[in-house]
Order: sequence, then structure tokens, then C-alpha cells
Amino acid sequence: MPLIGQLALALALVVAVYSIGANFLGIRRNSPDLLLSARHALWAMCAMVTVAVAALWTGLLTSDFSLEYVASYSSVTLPIQYKIAALWGGQQGSLLFWTWLLSIFTSIAIFQNRRRNPEIMPWALIVLAGVAIFFLGMLNFVTRPFDLLAAVPPDGSDLNPLLQNYWMAIHPPSLYTGYVSAAVPFAFACGALITRKLDDGWIRTTRRWAIFSWFFLTLGNLFGARWAYEVLGWGGYWAWDPVENAAFMPWLVMTAYLHSVMIQERKDMLKVWNLALIGLAFMLTLFGTFLTRSGVISSVHSFTQSGLGPYFLTFLILVVVGYTALLISRVNDLKSPAEFESYLSREAAFLFNNLMLVGIAFAVFWGTVFPVISEAVRGVKITVGPPFFDKVNGPLALGLIFLMGVGPLIAWRRTSPQTLLRTFLAPITMGVGAGIAVFAMGLRQWYVLTALSLAAFALGTVLVEFRRGVSARRHLVHETPARALVNLVAKNNRRYGGYVIHLGVVFAFIGIVSSSFFRTEVKRSVRAGQSFSIGAYDITYLGLKGVETAHLEDLSARLVVYSGGRQIATMAPAKLFYKRPQQPATRVAIRSTPLADLYIVLAGVDDQSGLATFEVFLTPLVFWLWAGGLMMAIGTVIVMWPNVRERAALAVALGRDEALGAEPVPGGD
Amino acid sequence: MPSKLRFVVGAGLIVLAIGYLITTAVRNTSEYYLTVNEVGAREAQLSGQMLRVAGRVKAGTISWDPATLTLGFAMVSPPDPANPDGSAVKTVAAAEPAEFRVVARGEPKPDMFAAGRDVIVEGRLAADGTIEARQVLTSCPSKYVPKQAK
Repeated sequence: MPLIGQLALALALVVAVYSIGANFLGIRRNSPDLLLSARHALWAMCAMVTVAVAALWTGLLTSDFSLEYVASYSSVTLPIQYKIAALWGGQQGSLLFWTWLLSIFTSIAIFQNRRRNPEIMPWALIVLAGVAIFFLGMLNFVTRPFDLLAAVPPDGSDLNPLLQNYWMAIHPPSLYTGYVSAAVPFAFACGALITRKLDDGWIRTTRRWAIFSWFFLTLGNLFGARWAYEVLGWGGYWAWDPVENAAFMPWLVMTAYLHSVMIQERKDMLKVWNLALIGLAFMLTLFGTFLTRSGVISSVHSFTQSGLGPYFLTFLILVVVGYTALLISRVNDLKSPAEFESYLSREAAFLFNNLMLVGIAFAVFWGTVFPVISEAVRGVKITVGPPFFDKVNGPLALGLIFLMGVGPLIAWRRTSPQTLLRTFLAPITMGVGAGIAVFAMGLRQWYVLTALSLAAFALGTVLVEFRRGVSARRHLVHETPARALVNLVAKNNRRYGGYVIHLGVVFAFIGIVSSSFFRTEVKRSVRAGQSFSIGAYDITYLGLKGVETAHLEDLSARLVVYSGGRQIATMAPAKLFYKRPQQPATRVAIRSTPLADLYIVLAGVDDQSGLATFEVFLTPLVFWLWAGGLMMAIGTVIVMWPNVRERAALAVALGRDEALGAEPVPGGD
Repeated sequence: MPSKLRFVVGAGLIVLAIGYLITTAVRNTSEYYLTVNEVGAREAQLSGQMLRVAGRVKAGTISWDPATLTLGFAMVSPPDPANPDGSAVKTVAAAEPAEFRVVARGEPKPDMFAAGRDVIVEGRLAADGTIEARQVLTSCPSKYVPKQAK
């Protein structure tokens, strides 16, 4: 099996190189046969990488410890779901997984465009194959997943216990899917630049890919945050660690891109900006991998340091320089006839929202690489911790939420201040009302007051939009309100799906603000039978219970939670002692309600004194971060739902009619 | 004012505001990130400052009191990977292997905390040379390979 995997990777590299050659020749000689052959070669590449993945999975599932990878990241007793997840648990496997996704997405893109975009396609495929070649080169020569061990150990050293968790099993695949699918719009952007077909055809062709990528980046970030919340046991979910930042930056830039392409589709403006954004998004996905794999920046999640760093950096620089040069060489083809007319216009709101998003991305980037820069410039490593990110991004987030409230209601081109006031009367009332209500409740922090007012304002805008649409339908087609709402969303899924995402963002924002400002914490060592309290809760510790399996030992504490003298819950936070790498881990007990999360960590047990140490966090409204995240995901699904009208528009944009034909899942038109 | 110029000005103001936020935040939140040996080399000038220090937990120095949640240990420099036993030529800076006592109060002991582990300590360097830690972070390697592998 290992040999088959190794061989498949070598063949994949060969066919990828061949496809580039065939594409080049095909373009020069104008030979459809060669171009077709290049496409088939990429399908073959996908098949080969699939074989390699299957070989590694087989190794993991059959516990073939002659493979160094399997011996390093798996063990006999590892539960089967984590044996599967171990494919992306280590460096070689995660690069293989990445390459696999890229080859699958490339194949789907080929299928979708088998009769479309004949000029752009060969170049886009050259770019995608180029990226694949880089990764295949790494897998074949630098960090090989199928290396064998001279002496076969009886058991593996197991997957890191911290990674043996549901969220960690699904977090990396989501994030990688988000990262890798950004390569498709990027490749089409390159193709459009090279062939000078710079209308919005490439954007419309890859719009779903961009949304698909955004969807998975969103999920990836959320799952990562959820993992940190449930597993790391410090009561928070985000620490501005370089690894987290690496996942957050592409999300920000992709968000900016998805908004600014709307201006290009509508007004034929911001062409250079859009091309720059998609390039930046792709580069940031590479940068993210570079950060996590190179060890350049110390992170709490220090990955295996390896020789990958220099290769990644070289590749990254190549992409940055190449793409920038390409973009500059085409600037004259990207002149736009339209101009911004007024600050009071949707274009302006979108432009400023873009600046904020990219600004946040830049601040995050700066904070992340600051230690490296300060060391290079001043000879001393200086870090900026979470306070830096909070200080910079806090105000910018307020600006973004404000613009999110403005954007959907303001007219394109220009609005008079009077109209503006009339349109925004309801949302402004909601915002001010919320501010006064929160003030009356006794909150005095200016940031919280502003944040909650703006959140209510943005919420108001979305509600106004829904109300408007529903009442229009009720009058025009005489539907019941519920039916009108359903039809409204179904018939304009792109627009109203977007609003659902906005609602999700508002809720998530409220959850973030509230959990950052109002989290309380109690740390206490108690004996069985003793009680302590946090907020309105009284907690009594009853005792410990141990359960042992072949894989781990589970020591859980039994706690009863009372509120107002009434028992409301029993909770069982636990310490887990894994056996293969002998290492303890924490299983947090969380009682989540829409009002507040009660979060209990069994921080330690002292055998001599019988003291159990608990760390308890009470976090108001953090529930809404996850609820908002779920809503963002649902909204994105609504946006991506196939839409007949949109396909017709794409057909017009591409000047042909096959676009109405079959639409494969998941990317596409 | 022509509309193009107006937008350049507007965008410029936003960019300036972001730049201002970043520079002030950097000034107010930066901390030295040092290794144990680097702290040792300039202990006098760092006294009283907030630091992040990377080092390794020295075996046999750990004290943990669960009743008061007080963790104490000595932190040393991890052995140079190129020179694991420290026998070969030493550079001048590393001539005196530094060691610092770390005390963390009111925080539970991290799960992964153990002798020989690499840790990052965030805290203030007190006048007596103790680091009063606000936070002790343990690195979590994604891979556990016995040192002899390969």
C-alpha cells in the first residue's frame, strides 16, 4: 500500500507537469485536442491523488505502523473517527489532504467549464496545475507521507489528545476547503488578466466558488473557536494566536471581495480592486499555511517545525511578485468609465466597508508578523498580545457594523439627506432605543453602549428590508405574511440570503462584545460536600468518579448547580488521562442558555489533600456567537441555492446559452 | 471638489485612522519576547517590565499548592538543537546559562505542564529576579515523536 501511494504521488506530479505543457502548446498551436488532453491529464492527477489519499487512509485504519506517518499520529486504541481525522492531523497528511482538495476542485471547475470560457480556461488550469505542482513537489521530495520506518514499532504514538475532539476533527477540513477553493477564483482572475478578457465574466463564473470558499472559511473559523472554547478550558474562544489569525485574514479579505464584486457587476467599477482582493485572498491562504508550517512565528499551537518554510516562502513570493506584475501590466485595460458620485450612496458604503475589512486584515497581519519585523529592524523581538488586536479591531468593528446597517438601505449612486433620514428613521430609532435601554439597565462602558446601539441599528435595517419585501408581496400577489416571507427569500435568494448572513453577524457581534466585557471568573479549591458561588449560581461539589478504558482514564467531578435555592443542573467536568502519550487533558462542562453560559473546568485534583480545583466562568450571551455563526452558515446556503434567474444572467454575461444546462454541485455559476 | 478627489480624501482619512489605531496600539501593548538567556543577559534593564519569556521547565523545581493555586518552578533555556549537550564551543551570549524562578498565583496548573516542557511565561520581572507570571502557556506540539526517531 505505501508503495502504491508513493507511486501515485509521483505520477500525479508527472501528469500535472504534462498538463501545463499541453495547455501551453494547445494555446500556441490553437489545438483543441491538446487542450482537451491537458484537461484529461488533470482528471488523471485527481485520480492519482485520490489513490494516494486512499492508501494513507488504509494505512491509518489498518494501523500499519511501518509508515512513519501512521506511527506518529495514530495508535491501535485510537477511536476510528480520529483515525480518519488523523489524515489531516499531521503535516504530511494535511498537505496531502490539501492537494487532494485542490485536485478535486480543479476537476469540478474543468467539468463546469467544459464548454464555457474557452480562452480563460487553459490559463486558469495552468495556474491551478502550477499550485498543484508546488504541493506535489513538497509531497514527493520534502515532506513525504509514505516514508517507512526501519524498525516497525508495536504501537503508534497517538494523535495529540487535544486533537481528539469532534470540533478538531471537522475544523481542519472546513478551513482547508475554504483555503483551497479560493484558488479557483484566483486562477480565473489570472486567466482573465492574461487573456485580457476583463469584463465581469470571470467573476460571475467563479462567484459560487468565492461564496463556497467564504462559507467554509466561516465554518472553519467558527469550528476552531468552538474547539478552543470546549477543549482548551480557559473560558474564551479566541486568543489572536498566529494560527487563528492565519485563518481569519483570508476570511476578511474574501468578505471584502464578495461585497466589492457587487459594485463591479452593477456599476462596472473597482475592477483593479477586485482583482487585487482575490489575489490577496489567495496569497493569505498560502501565507496561513506558511505560518503554521514554518515555525517562523511562535504560536501556542507550535507545529512540527520542518524544512517547509523556505519553500513556502519562495512560492509565496513568486505568487505575490508574479500576480502583482501581471496586474500592473494590465492596468490600462482596467479603466472604468463610471465614477463615485456621492458619499451618500451604496457604492460609497461598500467602498468604506472594503477599506475597513482590509484594514482589519492588515492590522491582524501586522500584529502577527510584528515580532519578526521588530527583530529584523530593532534586533529585539517584541510581541503585541491580544490587547493590541482588541484595541485596533474594536473601533474598526464598530465602523463595519455601522456600514452594514447603512449598506442595504441606501440607494445606489446618490441619495438626498432628506430621503436618507426617512429611509433610516426606523433603524435609527431602534438603535437609539437600544442604547437608552442598555443605559437604563446600568451599563456605562461607552464601547458597549455604542456597540449595542449599532447592532440594533443594523438589525433594524435588515428587519425594514424584510418588512418592505413582505408587504410588497402581500399587496401585489395577496399572500399570507408567512408565505410572502418564504417566497421573498426563495425568489431573491442572493439578496435575502445576504440579509440572513447580516443578521447572523449582528448576533455573533453581540455575543462577542458581551463575552469580552462581562465574563466573570471564579477559581476555587474545594473538598467534597463544599459549595461556592458565581453570579446567581451556587455550586456544590459532590465527589469524583473514575472510568478507565484501554485508550484513556476519565476522572470526572460531580457538581450540582442551584439557582435561587432550586436545583437546575448537574454538571460533570472531567480530567482525561491519555495513555499513549501520557498526558492529561480537560473536558469542560458547559451549561449553555441564551442568557449565559456556565462553564466549569476541573483544573486539578490533589490526591493528598482531597482538594479539587475548579475554574468557573460565567459568560453572558456567548450563546449568540454560535447561534449567529449558524445563521451565517444558513444564510450562505440560501445565497448559494441554485437560481434560474442568475443562470440566465450568467448566460448573457458569457454570451452563450449552455449556462442553463446542468449545474454541478458545489461551485459553479 | 471633483468627486474623484473627494473619495481619495475620504479613503485617505480612513486609512490614516487605521494607521493611527495601529501605531498607538503597538506603542501601548508591546512586550518584549525573549528567551531565558536573553533575559539573563540584560536583567537589570528589564526589571519591572512586562515580558513574554520562552524557556523550559527545569526538572525537580516544580512546586504546586492547589489550596492557594500557587505554581512555582525554575525556567531554563532549552538546549540548543544544534548542540544538545552543550559540550561544544559556546557563544559569548550564552556563556552564562540563565535560570529564573517563576511564580504564578491564582491560576490553575495547565494540563500539559510538566518538567522538561517548553513554556511561554507572560509576566513581570520583579526586582529579586523572580518572574511574577500572569500566565503560563504550554506549547502543544501536534506531534509526539520520541527523540530518537529518524
